[in-house]
Amino acid sequence: MRLTGGMLLLILIAILLTAPSARGDETCMSPYMPKITGQEDYVYVWTLGVEGVGDGSDKLVTVGANPKAPNYGKVVSTVSVGGRHEAHHGDFTDDRRFFWAGGLDDSVLYVFDVAADPAHPKLARTIDSFVRDSGGVVGPHTFFALPGRVLVSALSNDRDQGGRTALVTYNNDGKFVETAWMPDKAEYGYDVRVQPRLNRMLTSSFTGRQNYMRDFAALLADPEAMKHFGNTMVVWDFHARKPIQTLAVPGAPLEIRWALQPRHNYAFTTTALTSKIWLIAQQDDGSFRATPVADIADPKRTPLPVDISLSADDRFLFVDTFMDGTCRVYDVSDPRRPKVVHEQKIGAQLNMVSETWDGERVYFTSSLLANWDKKGKDNEQFLKAYRWDGKRLSPLFHVDFLAEGLGRPHIMRFGQERFYKNQIFEGS
Amino acid sequence: MIRAALAALVALAGPAVAAEVAAPERLRGVDPAALGYTYAVGTFAPEYAPPAPGSYTLPVIQTVHDHPLVDADGRPTTLFTLKRGRVAVVAFIYTTCIDVAGCPLGNAVLARIDGALAAEPILARRARLITVSFDPERDTPARMARVRALYRPSASWRFLTTRGDNELRPLLEDFGQPVAKLRFADGRWSGLFRHVLKVFLLDRENRVRNIYSVGFLGPALVLNDIRTLAGEPASTAPPGAAGLASPTMAASARRHAAARGPSPRHR
Repeated sequence: MRLTGGMLLLILIAILLTAPSARGDETCMSPYMPKITGQEDYVYVWTLGVEGVGDGSDKLVTVGANPKAPNYGKVVSTVSVGGRHEAHHGDFTDDRRFFWAGGLDDSVLYVFDVAADPAHPKLARTIDSFVRDSGGVVGPHTFFALPGRVLVSALSNDRDQGGRTALVTYNNDGKFVETAWMPDKAEYGYDVRVQPRLNRMLTSSFTGRQNYMRDFAALLADPEAMKHFGNTMVVWDFHARKPIQTLAVPGAPLEIRWALQPRHNYAFTTTALTSKIWLIAQQDDGSFRATPVADIADPKRTPLPVDISLSADDRFLFVDTFMDGTCRVYDVSDPRRPKVVHEQKIGAQLNMVSETWDGERVYFTSSLLANWDKKGKDNEQFLKAYRWDGKRLSPLFHVDFLAEGLGRPHIMRFGQERFYKNQIFEGS
Repeated sequence: MIRAALAALVALAGPAVAAEVAAPERLRGVDPAALGYTYAVGTFAPEYAPPAPGSYTLPVIQTVHDHPLVDADGRPTTLFTLKRGRVAVVAFIYTTCIDVAGCPLGNAVLARIDGALAAEPILARRARLITVSFDPERDTPARMARVRALYRPSASWRFLTTRGDNELRPLLEDFGQPVAKLRFADGRWSGLFRHVLKVFLLDRENRVRNIYSVGFLGPALVLNDIRTLAGEPASTAPPGAAGLASPTMAASARRHAAARGPSPRHR
């Protein structure tokens, strides 16, 4: 039998329509990367070192997360990288074998092997040439897996430590590939997210090194410095890596989450300084429009929305606000009219939020930036796990990162033994 | 669809002569969703027109080396012998794959590209499609010939395998294509592999200029990339600097990157 052109087209259409079918979402992850489904065994936490706390160094902390394991809610291992580099974000390569993480202060990249022994990641490579490789880019922020490559968005540059910055690509072997600078009049950078189905990439904008490394109170009291925050998002032709549209989104738009369901051609972001949820939606003519669709808490009190997480069914948007340590869950079934359906104080300060693929567990960490975290008794540093039943968050466990001598916990990613052992669990 | 593919796998795997005997019959009781990778919700079906050929650049991602292969007629050859200075699309598959986001997708896309190239003889002469099995135990030249007969490709598409792990491992490592046998809890091989489908676009100088996985593997896009590379004058690839062989060359490339500042792409 020969496969005819028509048969092949039907096969291809069937594959494309069914290939990635799945039940849920593992938030914040590149769609090019296989997801961990079911119960996660570990939460990897990229953690800032604190002087006088443990060894004082930035480290990757592995916490047990499977309630059936004896290490549930306990620190399983730590990998210290030596020194403090303003550990911030990180993510896996497209095959999920390596976790790339960055330091915002000195722009060093760390590559951890998580596949060989998921309970005990090992530092496999350090890249200290990021600024030189990239032609002067500073402050590696988001790590986004592409096939065979890692796309790194950044915050600053080495010429003036301001907000002009770029997207930098490395291959999975740690070799520099290219730098794509942000366009004029939209020069700030922060997050980067790709929607392959539309061949569109969105970037957001924060502030340069001279601001993000400053003491937060001093920064807020400096009106001139406060002018130097991003007010734009850029829509890119992803394949061509060309900026095609600049959107006005005033007030430092940070995390970007594309909707996940078919025909949902939109994304959400929140603005740190103006405290709003923005909808970035494709129009009938293919262009995108940015619209503020909800206030977050009382914007006049600058609650400082930070991380967000969108559920797999595009129904719930989790929004963390740093200043009041609160997570608000919005029903965004109608993306133009988000409604708060749950509100819960998690701690004295709050930054990152990560949902599991099945949406049943939600993890939170506390640290924003070393010099922006609260002082004194409000400087709580924790990883907290909750169960989400669609209506409320119920505590599961928490780890005190100061009492454990670890530091300031920031981004979280999940690990699972069976994923890396390539095992079939019969009856699963 | 997956259950039908499972049945086909069981039927196909029966007569295979393999160093390690697989037990695909045990897969009948397994949830198919547990067998393949899960990438995203919804669909990756492209809803865009790819950018026009030559309107963008493809930086060098890495450089690959020559590797021994065996063609579907059992004749020894090598990757570069097959390429002979052409642009090439290289896909790693195994013929009994049931992961719809894996090898079947790769084969279907290459078949579409092959059909398109057949209609463009000038471009077809400058491009080569190369499908290489990473299951040499079962994907013998004879089996690759059967797959070839199924697709009846034009002159551009070749089906290859290797003589075993000694040839296969360096090839997969060079391209950065991890592959692992999917096993039952007792260690018995299921007959399946775990792998992220990657399809590599090589320029005339054997540099990887794009890598496609399930999220971005569309025939129209790959064809435009082939046209983009085929239209490049020799040795005019954007520096990229990745995969350069010697430390001296790599250092030179970094200097170049540092000197040029903002990428030419956005000036």
